[in-house]
Amino acid sequence: MRLRNRGRIHSLRWRLLAGIGAAVLLIWLLTGWFSYTKAQHEAEELMDGSLAQTARLLLAITHDNEDDLAELVPRLATVRGAEDIYEPPLEFQIGLGDGRVLARSPDAPEFPILGVAGYSDIIRHNEAWRVLNAVSTDGRYRVQVAQAIGLRDRAALEVATQTVLPLLFITPVLIVLIYLSISRALRPLEQLADEVAARTPDSLDALTTNRVPTEARPLVVAINRLFGRVARTLDNERQFTADAAHELRTPLAALKVQAQVALLSGDTPMREHALQQIAGGVDRASHLVDQLLRLARLDPLSSPPEIRSLDPEALLLDSLNAVRQAHPQATQQMLARIPPGAQALMGDGDLLGIALRNLLDNAVRYTPPASSIRVELAQAHGRCDLRVSDNGPGVPPAALARLGERFYRAGQAAGKGNGLGLAIVARIAELHGAQLSAENLPGGGFAVTLRGLQTQHPDEQSDKTD
Amino acid sequence: MRLLLVEDDTLLGDGIRAGLMLAAYAVDWVPDGKQALLALADHSYDACVLDLGLPGKDGLTVLREMRGRGDQTPVLLLTARDTAEDKIAGLDHGADDYLTKPFDLGELQARIRALLRRAGGKAQPLLEHCGVSLDPASKRVSFNGQEVPLSAREYALLHALISQPGHIKSRSQLEESLYAWGDEAGSNTVEVYIHHLRKKFGADFIKTVRGLGYQLADKNG
Repeated sequence: MRLRNRGRIHSLRWRLLAGIGAAVLLIWLLTGWFSYTKAQHEAEELMDGSLAQTARLLLAITHDNEDDLAELVPRLATVRGAEDIYEPPLEFQIGLGDGRVLARSPDAPEFPILGVAGYSDIIRHNEAWRVLNAVSTDGRYRVQVAQAIGLRDRAALEVATQTVLPLLFITPVLIVLIYLSISRALRPLEQLADEVAARTPDSLDALTTNRVPTEARPLVVAINRLFGRVARTLDNERQFTADAAHELRTPLAALKVQAQVALLSGDTPMREHALQQIAGGVDRASHLVDQLLRLARLDPLSSPPEIRSLDPEALLLDSLNAVRQAHPQATQQMLARIPPGAQALMGDGDLLGIALRNLLDNAVRYTPPASSIRVELAQAHGRCDLRVSDNGPGVPPAALARLGERFYRAGQAAGKGNGLGLAIVARIAELHGAQLSAENLPGGGFAVTLRGLQTQHPDEQSDKTD
Repeated sequence: MRLLLVEDDTLLGDGIRAGLMLAAYAVDWVPDGKQALLALADHSYDACVLDLGLPGKDGLTVLREMRGRGDQTPVLLLTARDTAEDKIAGLDHGADDYLTKPFDLGELQARIRALLRRAGGKAQPLLEHCGVSLDPASKRVSFNGQEVPLSAREYALLHALISQPGHIKSRSQLEESLYAWGDEAGSNTVEVYIHHLRKKFGADFIKTVRGLGYQLADKNG
């Protein structure tokens, strides 16, 4: 289960863990950034408030005390703060409404006090400073207060760190807990894998679904369905192999026995009879092998080897002629009927020819002399049916449903045919998307129909000429 | 000795019948289970060669039905399936022996001889009575150590009598062991062959039991 190839992680556990870990890290960084900016904003407002208060205090002190200002400045130097982050340096300038500076702290910025009243940010001594210009209510005095804003950023950083730091310790614990719970959640899957791995190729019974998690149930149901199909296929294969063994051994046994009779018999007519039987038996065995090989080649296909447009008249007449040649002594009357203006068929000419020949061959074999056999084509709604019918004795009704089964022989076919002809026809019909149906006709007789073959669309008819 | 052959395959059936006729058995051949049961009910056979894979009633069903009605005819099964289950099922349904296709004609004949021998309650392959000894394997007959040439019909008649020496066999029973269906039997052929055998082994060798049939002479007689 834990396959890791070409650098991609295939383990669900590690994928979940990596995903959740990344999400936790992202949330952690976002929380840090958010608390930092929020804290910075709060500190800024706090600082602006304190600057405004200081400015108003200076204005109040200055009012009507212009003469004492020279004395006041050194004393005010003590409020300029220390090199402490919570008492950052504070500089000020005091002047008249017209912009004349009356007093200033020693390190006050060279920034005119006559500017617009309000806050501004400046850079001095490679540090960011916040400057506030204020005017007294009567407009007689102006005050400028400036303070380094390093505090603001440092305070914000501190607040953010305090928020984020506990998460740094919680995260590993969280990851371990998530890992454990993922492992626990995946345990049924591992048990399922063990159960499948412990199976022998023969044990194809369904997996139990009651302890499987809901998410994995579709998989288990699909596996069970596959198991069922494989088991059925295996059964069919076994049945087919057993049947094929039976069908091949019987003619071989017959050939051997006949050959031994020929060897042992001192009687010439008896030996000649046995030799003739051998010749006939070899023909029959090679026909059986041909049919078996044909089925074996058709079995793995999922569609006909080639689909072409076929002239129905040529298809029917060729099959009829081939069967007439194979049974020169047949006395049955054989005829083909094709409606005028029949459209071309779509399919594999070789396979459909084999199907028709098999059906006609059966009809010749199992109808009495002078019966009539007909092969016909019927078309409707872009589909067509091929049908071979006779006026012979038909097939026992109980056998009708089993006719397409391999090696199944019904009625008088027992002991003569090999039971593969109709199975081949059924397979060819299936490959062409058609249905095979066999029925006894009401007035006596038997018919087999390949139903629902495709015909060529009339628009494509022009292609047929080349 | 008369055998019933049940085989649906025309070529194999024809071959087995010819092969068994070469061994001087009278063989009736039927192609399916229904006819096999009818034939078994109507005639008495010394053994039956039964194919398992038959159309309609299969070999096992035939076997079960004939054993069910108390028919003790020895049965040799022919099967194309060579799994142990098939053989076990066949033997457990009352078969006496089986052969897997394809088989050797000589082996089939030998197994039938063994079946007939066991049915007659003997383990000895040679059948002997009053100085006459018959070897079913080589089809040779000797009288007091001297080999006696016999025709196929004479051999078949002697075989029928000597396999159960104490029993009285009716004329029709003997006729059945000489001729399969379709063979033409004259009205007095059994008498003709009895006469031939008496000429070869002495007039007392076969006794006529009036109204019942024929019997071999008593051992000490």
